[in-house]
Amino acid sequence: MDMDDDAEGTSRRIQVRFVTKLKPPLKVPATAIAIPANLTRFGLSSVVNSLLEATDNPDYKPEPFDFLIDGELVRMSLEEFLVVKGISVEKILEIEYTKAVAPRKEEDPSLHDDWVCAVDGSSPRFFLTGCYDGLGRVWKNAGLCTHILEGHSDAITSITIINPEGGETSTLATTSKDRTVRLWKFNPEEAIDHPVKIRAFKILRGHKASVQSVAVQTSGEMVCSGSWDCTINLWQTHFDTDGDLSIKKRKVGGQVEESQLEGEAVSTLVGHTQNVSAVAWPLRDTIYSASWDHSVRKWDVETGKDLSDIFCGKALNCLDIGGEGSALIAAGGSDPVLRIWDPRKPGTSAPVFQFSSHTSWISACKWHDNSWFHLLSASYDGKVMLWDLRTAWPLSVIESHSDKVLCADWWKGDSVISGGADSKLCISSEIPIQ
Amino acid sequence: MGERGKSKKMKQRDAKSLSIQKASKAEEEPQKPLPQRVDTDSDSDYEDFSQDDRIENSETLSESEDGESGSSGDEDNLGNDSSEDSEFLVDSEAGESESSGDEDFVKTGNSDALGDGNDQQDGSDGSELHQGDESDSSEDEVAPRNTIGDVPLKWYEDEPHIGYDIKGKKIKKKEKQDKLGSFLASVDDSKNWRKVYDEYNDEEVELTKEEVKLVRRLLKGQAPHSEFDPYPEYVDWFKWDDAKHPLSNAPEPKRRFIPSKWEAKKVVRYVRAIRKGLITFDKPKEEDGPYLLWGDDSGSTEKSNHLAYIPAPKPKIPGHEESYNPPLEYIPTQEEIDSYQLMYEEDRPKFIPKSFKSLRSIPAYENAVKDCFERCLDLYLCPRVRKKRLNIDPESLIPKLPNPKSLKPYPETCYIEYKGHEDAVTSISVEASGQWMASGSSDGTVRIWEVETGRCLRRWEVGEAVNCVAWNPLPDVHILAVSVGQDVLLLNTGLGDEEEQKKISELLHVETSAPDDSDSKTPNVNWLQDNKHEGIRLRHFKTVSAVEWHRKGDYFSTVMPSDILSVCCLSFVLIHQLSKKLTQKLPFKLHGLAVKSTFHPTRSIFFICTKKSVRVYDLLKTKLIKKLDTGLREASSIAVHPGGDNLIVGSKDGKVYWFDMDLSSKPYEVLKYPDPPKDINNVAIHRSYPLFAWCSEDSNAYVFHGMVYSDLNENPLIVPLQTLRGHKRTNGRGILDCKFHPRQPWLFTAGADKLIKLFCH
Repeated sequence: MDMDDDAEGTSRRIQVRFVTKLKPPLKVPATAIAIPANLTRFGLSSVVNSLLEATDNPDYKPEPFDFLIDGELVRMSLEEFLVVKGISVEKILEIEYTKAVAPRKEEDPSLHDDWVCAVDGSSPRFFLTGCYDGLGRVWKNAGLCTHILEGHSDAITSITIINPEGGETSTLATTSKDRTVRLWKFNPEEAIDHPVKIRAFKILRGHKASVQSVAVQTSGEMVCSGSWDCTINLWQTHFDTDGDLSIKKRKVGGQVEESQLEGEAVSTLVGHTQNVSAVAWPLRDTIYSASWDHSVRKWDVETGKDLSDIFCGKALNCLDIGGEGSALIAAGGSDPVLRIWDPRKPGTSAPVFQFSSHTSWISACKWHDNSWFHLLSASYDGKVMLWDLRTAWPLSVIESHSDKVLCADWWKGDSVISGGADSKLCISSEIPIQ
Repeated sequence: MGERGKSKKMKQRDAKSLSIQKASKAEEEPQKPLPQRVDTDSDSDYEDFSQDDRIENSETLSESEDGESGSSGDEDNLGNDSSEDSEFLVDSEAGESESSGDEDFVKTGNSDALGDGNDQQDGSDGSELHQGDESDSSEDEVAPRNTIGDVPLKWYEDEPHIGYDIKGKKIKKKEKQDKLGSFLASVDDSKNWRKVYDEYNDEEVELTKEEVKLVRRLLKGQAPHSEFDPYPEYVDWFKWDDAKHPLSNAPEPKRRFIPSKWEAKKVVRYVRAIRKGLITFDKPKEEDGPYLLWGDDSGSTEKSNHLAYIPAPKPKIPGHEESYNPPLEYIPTQEEIDSYQLMYEEDRPKFIPKSFKSLRSIPAYENAVKDCFERCLDLYLCPRVRKKRLNIDPESLIPKLPNPKSLKPYPETCYIEYKGHEDAVTSISVEASGQWMASGSSDGTVRIWEVETGRCLRRWEVGEAVNCVAWNPLPDVHILAVSVGQDVLLLNTGLGDEEEQKKISELLHVETSAPDDSDSKTPNVNWLQDNKHEGIRLRHFKTVSAVEWHRKGDYFSTVMPSDILSVCCLSFVLIHQLSKKLTQKLPFKLHGLAVKSTFHPTRSIFFICTKKSVRVYDLLKTKLIKKLDTGLREASSIAVHPGGDNLIVGSKDGKVYWFDMDLSSKPYEVLKYPDPPKDINNVAIHRSYPLFAWCSEDSNAYVFHGMVYSDLNENPLIVPLQTLRGHKRTNGRGILDCKFHPRQPWLFTAGADKLIKLFCH
């Protein structure tokens, strides 16, 4: 076609056909064309863009694309890729293209008073941050803080939403270095001009050291928390049947008298020998936990037994369950390698994927909610990286932080929120993941 | 013919007395019969048994006519038997008593006969003559005529006589025939060939047939007498092999069948002597084994005993440039030749290629004489010496150590830095759980850091440079001991829940009256409440350099090294008890300057590291258990292995000593890593991993694998693992402190560059 003519005429040409799962405006005609074999991703992208432009759209804006051949992302020149993979060029090559996964927009950073060390973006309506000054914040959008969660006496280490789909009132859980887990309630829908300070409705005491992480059961009835005292505590979140719980009148700040419930741990999972740094509760009766004792453990909630261990040799800082069938374990820790295990593979504890583009400790890793392949990782080297399981290179690197990134999460399916030691909350949005 | 044995002797003797003039002639004409009778005597002389009846013998002999070469005994019988006999008798009468040799007798006989034949002189001459020559046998009949004895004959040359006969009369010389006459006479005389002139007696002797024969035999080298058998059959007269009767008929004695007691004793004595080593045996000579006949070419020069020939190094084979007409590219241009002049003599090329039209036009080599001379100088002044090179693979000299990769995990890379101090960080201490870390700095601050994130949690201004910080080893007692100048501060870190806080604040409360009571016992240490920092201030009387907690968190020790200027050159080690607010002096006398002290990880044993040695005390029994000699100039730090039997000592001269206290009081291993040696500031041993590390002034930390086996037979294994770099040298100082994370294989290092770094595996 006309596009090929301006490309280098001397090199080999390959018959290809572009296919996509994208919606019609971005669909190219399914005819085979011959393109030079030495095209890279950028070249392929411009080919597709000019095709799209030529077909119908007069006001088409060029778009970066990513290309998949046989389920592998193309990260080198087409020729090299085919040689490496041993794919014949006699047949017409089918290249699938998707929108390149990279943030298109960088929102203004939301400044905090201290290090931001916890974020949660599981609700599309708002996102949460926890800060080293002991305050949790609810943000409607970048720079728009609606609620401030007040009460922790030390840094908040993790924060999560208990009922993401809940109606008027949302329930939150926070953990802190002051050894408590607090549950909060607020109405996200109320229109507010300036941030409203709210207090926890329930304080869960029982840990003997800093609580590092919290995870919510899928039904929202229980939360679990991992702590520096090497235990995982399970807590009830029911606030309807609070008759049996003691109600304590507490004086807060000398003036306000407020009723705060106190709860005790339902059960404790003992087995780790060091700081439990991350917990995840992907199924109703299974808890995964990662610890500084170099292990990832799977717990049965009913019996409180340790079902299986994965040892990785490094102290672990973060853990997330997701990916294909919501079964892959991603974890990062005291080295620059993000490891992914498949617990369904029998008889092996070797990671199935290892991503090692970071240069320092990994502080957070999160699977994308809707994609089996995408996940993000945040590291102390100040970078947030987006990964696709189909290639060993990061899809994109977000370098908006100037210091350690302490936490990161997806938000609304197309944004990445991350907080760091530079007291900033950065939002990178418009990431096209279908 | 078997007379060779004696013939030689005979010949000699004959040659003495006889001048055989015509022996050659005699040989030419052997056939002619002798006119004179001779010598049965001589024969009889040889054959002893025939002597007695000589006369008869001679008579019988005379009968046989033929003198030809027959049997020796009876050959020469001449006609004049009677005269012979008479002569014989006369002779015997004259010289019977004289002893004379056998052969001489023959001669005398001859001479007599000649004398008889020629001038018929008196027979006594023969005996006289005889006397002069020989005196062997007593049976000589013919005495020699002349009696001058064995004097040179030339004495009588000018005399008219030749000597004297037995009666003293002069024997006149005979008139000499003129030559012509003698010739004629000799021509005429057919027997002339066998005539011999006897100078002694001045007469001519005609040899008999037998004598001629005898002479011939002698000339042939045979025995003079044909009957003589030099090789007779041997008769063994004493052979008694098959003798019927033995010499003695006595039965075999019993002693021949009994082992000898005496011999047995002697054997025992010898055996004992051999055992004692008094008798040594010569070693059997080693026989040369098979060897290469032609030798080994390579080693032949070395083996030989004489001066080894060292072959000269092979000269380079001449190349194209040495050709008389080299290709153009080999010939240097004029500029190049000029540039050679600028070079040093040694660097200049020895040979400059030149081109010649033909071989004929090549001039003589101008340096020939000089080269020869230099070569001679070389040989004379610089003898070649064979260089002995050890053929050892250098790899094989390195001890076998496991690969560091297999000893993971150990700290490798720095991931987290703790920034905030404004001056060199002098000391760090990690909390028991590993969540927090405290540091003291020269900027007069003490800080607490969160290990995980690198966040500074808390900060105290203590005013003076901090020497040492130590976190209480109990996980629920969050108390920090800080040595600042002359004070030791006990600080409440504020961590832990309310109950723990309550406990801590109780511990850190001092009643004001306490110091007054215990003045007599306590050596000038005041326990004061420090309101500013909500802790306790222990005021010492000297600068405190080190603080170390006991494992139970109640006792802690402080070390006050004396400054050199102080009067009493003593250093003090104090032990304080936190719960009772008591201070004790060590109940031992200290030798040397204490630098550091530490408690045994499990037992009530106390280590004091002085500059030169390490002393180990038992606190319960209050006595010195052991003294470990370091031999160091100045020890700087000590760390005890969690097992308690091994300890390492770092020194200011860049050495680290590993002591195995079960093994000996000498260091088990000496590690010298930094090169050039730098002060080692601190050593650290990991509590659970087999790791130890030290940090030095060259701003590197060195991590080692130090495995201590529970099996006592196995010595500790020490493997260098990693050099941790990253700190910068500031004000000439490097890393001032290093501590391991209590639970992870991580190392904290505090540098003079105001940073604390965490090295992770």
